[in-house]
Amino acid sequence: MNYKARIDSVYNGSAVDGKGLRCVVFFTGCNMRCGFCHNPETWTEKGNEIELTELVRKIKRYKNYIQNGGVTLSGGEPFLQAEFCTALVNALHVEGISSIVETNGLIADEDLINACDGIRLDLKNQDGRVDSRVLAFLDKCEELGKDVTLTNVLVPSLNDTPEKLNIVKNIKNKYSCIKELKLLAFRKLCTGKYERLKIPFPYEKYDEGTKKDLDKAYAFLKE
Amino acid sequence: MKYEQWKGFKEGDYQNKIDVRDFINLNYTPYEGDKSFLAGPTKRTKKVMEKVNALLKKELDKGGVLDVDTEHVSGLLAYDAGYIDKDLDIIVGFQTDEPLKRGVNPFGGMRMARQSCEAYGYKLSDKIEENFKYSTTHNDGVYSVYTDEMRAARKAAILTGLPDAYGRGRIIGDYRRVALYGVDYLIEQKMADKKRYGQNDMSEDNIRTLEELHQQIQALKDLKGMALKYGYDISQPAANAKEAIQWLYFGYLAAIKEQNGAAMSLGRTSTFLDIYIQRDLDNGTLTEEQAQELMDDFVIKLRLSRQLRTPEYNELFGGDPTWTTESVGGMGLDGRTLVTKNSYRMLNTLYTLGCAPEPNLTILWSEKLPENFKKFCAQVSIDTDSIQYENDDLMRPVYGDDYAIACCVSAMKVGKQMQFFGARCNLAKLLLVTLNGGMDEYSGLQVAPKGKKFEGKLDFDEVMAAFNEYSKWMCRLYINTLNVIHRMHDKYAYEKIQMALHDTEVHRFMACGVAGLSVIADSLSAIKYAEVTPIYGDNGLICDFDIKGDFPKYGNDDDRVDSIAVSVLENFSKELKNTPAYRGAEHTLSVLTITSNVVYGKKTGSTPDGRKKGEPFAPGANPLHGRETSGALASLNSVAKLQYNCCRDGISNTFSILPNALGDTKEKRIDNLADMLGGYFKEGGHHLNVNVLDRAKLVEAMENPAKYPNITIRVSGYAVNFHKLSKDQQLEVLKRTYHGEL
Repeated sequence: MNYKARIDSVYNGSAVDGKGLRCVVFFTGCNMRCGFCHNPETWTEKGNEIELTELVRKIKRYKNYIQNGGVTLSGGEPFLQAEFCTALVNALHVEGISSIVETNGLIADEDLINACDGIRLDLKNQDGRVDSRVLAFLDKCEELGKDVTLTNVLVPSLNDTPEKLNIVKNIKNKYSCIKELKLLAFRKLCTGKYERLKIPFPYEKYDEGTKKDLDKAYAFLKE
Repeated sequence: MKYEQWKGFKEGDYQNKIDVRDFINLNYTPYEGDKSFLAGPTKRTKKVMEKVNALLKKELDKGGVLDVDTEHVSGLLAYDAGYIDKDLDIIVGFQTDEPLKRGVNPFGGMRMARQSCEAYGYKLSDKIEENFKYSTTHNDGVYSVYTDEMRAARKAAILTGLPDAYGRGRIIGDYRRVALYGVDYLIEQKMADKKRYGQNDMSEDNIRTLEELHQQIQALKDLKGMALKYGYDISQPAANAKEAIQWLYFGYLAAIKEQNGAAMSLGRTSTFLDIYIQRDLDNGTLTEEQAQELMDDFVIKLRLSRQLRTPEYNELFGGDPTWTTESVGGMGLDGRTLVTKNSYRMLNTLYTLGCAPEPNLTILWSEKLPENFKKFCAQVSIDTDSIQYENDDLMRPVYGDDYAIACCVSAMKVGKQMQFFGARCNLAKLLLVTLNGGMDEYSGLQVAPKGKKFEGKLDFDEVMAAFNEYSKWMCRLYINTLNVIHRMHDKYAYEKIQMALHDTEVHRFMACGVAGLSVIADSLSAIKYAEVTPIYGDNGLICDFDIKGDFPKYGNDDDRVDSIAVSVLENFSKELKNTPAYRGAEHTLSVLTITSNVVYGKKTGSTPDGRKKGEPFAPGANPLHGRETSGALASLNSVAKLQYNCCRDGISNTFSILPNALGDTKEKRIDNLADMLGGYFKEGGHHLNVNVLDRAKLVEAMENPAKYPNITIRVSGYAVNFHKLSKDQQLEVLKRTYHGEL
């Protein structure tokens, strides 16, 4: 079967979306649309249609660079196109390339979780609660023994409070499959993207997170 | 055993004839360990560096030139000995009698010598003016032969940077021979060659060779005289590490006294010197601290090499570079690595002395290099932005394992091959000349044969056919122009001491070049995939282009346009070979601009890719800034597609990435940079300049130079102190793509 997917683009050469050098596939379509989102261009359902074989061919061009890294499936929400993603991950395995998937954790597709080499789950605690589906997703990872890196976008004055950081802390402590916790500073480099798309940037009013904010939050989480 | 100075070395062929490679191969100690053995700077080195830094500051404060000796013509015996501090210097020798004082070298051309003095408030002495009234310079010779067509192509800047008024450079003397054999043996060998050539029929070629041999022998005698001024007799081989470095440096010093070539490169000396250092370490006469101190003092001298240039020259070669290129590392043909402890010591000078653009440290990268060394190189790049990388796996099969890089990217076997530097042809301009029916879009002059003026929507096949015709014309004119230049250089400014440190039978390259590769690739892609219509100005020349629709852009790993870049080079390279080169030289081609991408851009009208009149080109083989949108690796892959086989003089790529984009810790950055380099070279890339820095830092440095006085960046095959670039060049550097910015 020739799978097709909708993607925004492929970025070749990221060193911040997982271990080593990586190619990042940005899938389009999102079931969350967070206020701090860095990639609002991927919210659309439309995107560019690409066939599996074509995408694998493109990524293979970077095999010489990404042996210690791999591919990151990002978006948008890759799990919205879970069937394609599973096929992609399997096809890349045949080429000796490993893949991780970035997700908001709302769709716990067992096949994709099983197939991929790791999950980066971005925990949304900005409004003070965590969707129960995210916990179900983590339960599934725990059950399948899949390594998870938990990320959390730190927005000063919004979710750097003890109460909200405790949500992160409790989840981290609950699951042994979470091997790493990474706080990501909220950045506003994407303002221009919102302007070009002519949609409001919901978190416009917040300040960017600084290294100091991160250090403080990490210190709290360690307590 | 011929010389007692060779005690402890393995015996071999090198003892019966000049063969430095054989000596290295038999005697060196490969090193696969890490950097932990390295020593820091000694007290003495720190003291000397204080003096050096004070001198450098004075030079910068004075507008870039500290002092000029206008009384003497630069030469091996022209000046008394010079020191930083006679009591502190370990390795000695300066080009004139004081550090940073520049000598005058009028052999390339009087006008250039006069103007460069005047540019810095000096006046060439009447004595020199008078003497050169009665002699012909290289420049005089060239201009007595240049045809109208050559002058027009030069004036329109289709051909630019031609070495017709200054030393051509890019010749590497095998300075190691001075240390290994001593000068007397070298003289003896050249005299034997002269005797042999004396038996031949006296053809013009043979007479020229005999005269050159005579000059080489005289230069070797002068070399001994020069060393004697510093109290050294170098007629015999060097007996220890200190002498080996000193002898070798004297050879190099003689070359930079005699010649003011654009690039006066050092060669491949670190591993050679390691043999002497290791022997001294083994017999207990040297410590690691002392070994580093010797290398430090050697490098201090190399950093203080200077030539007197005009401001126009600085436009092409910004930042006062000397291209004292030293090639480090690589693999041997027998599979052992050529990395030694002294490869580390050489790189370590960037820490012991602080970072600096010279010597132009060039890592010969192989997949097989020891992992420890790869990591150390990546660390040095991240810390200093001062080193470049070239693909040993690509060059070793062509040049063997004792080649070195001259200038930025030009490989040659040390002491066995040399090149005739040919600057470059502006391909973007050539396309505009094609579309304008042979007219220069700036002056309106008919600089090329008359052809069809293109009107209405451009047809790709038609444009390509015309461009190929003009390329044919250009290539013939280009080679013929270079033949004139190099005949005259040989005649009036022959590199006596450098060629004395070559085999007499030497292989020559005619090293041509192109600029504007990304502009022509994108322009042809626009014509093919979008709708491009020329817009004519009142003067009847194309002043701009109307571009409708999108088109694939070079730098995104897109074969549709990358293949255009590949075929333009293949075609140009093939065409060049149709015109015979002077002295039977082998034609080669480079994709390299130095900083001339800025001045080339200034002299080129709007192009069909949407680049506006006067805007800079991308440097070397780089994609045009801002057009690479598919990530750093995609950009690298596009450049790696260019074929080294048709660009044997090198393909230059300058790469800038934000520190954060390489990873969030130093360790990760080192690993990721090493992976990036490994991948690029495995893909067949030839050269990579690596900058790991923030654009913001450069902006800050521009506004507040005192805050970052030593900021060093890689530009195009070399490194510069950022503050030594012109404002235009600084702005162009800021405009470049910094991978990782969103």
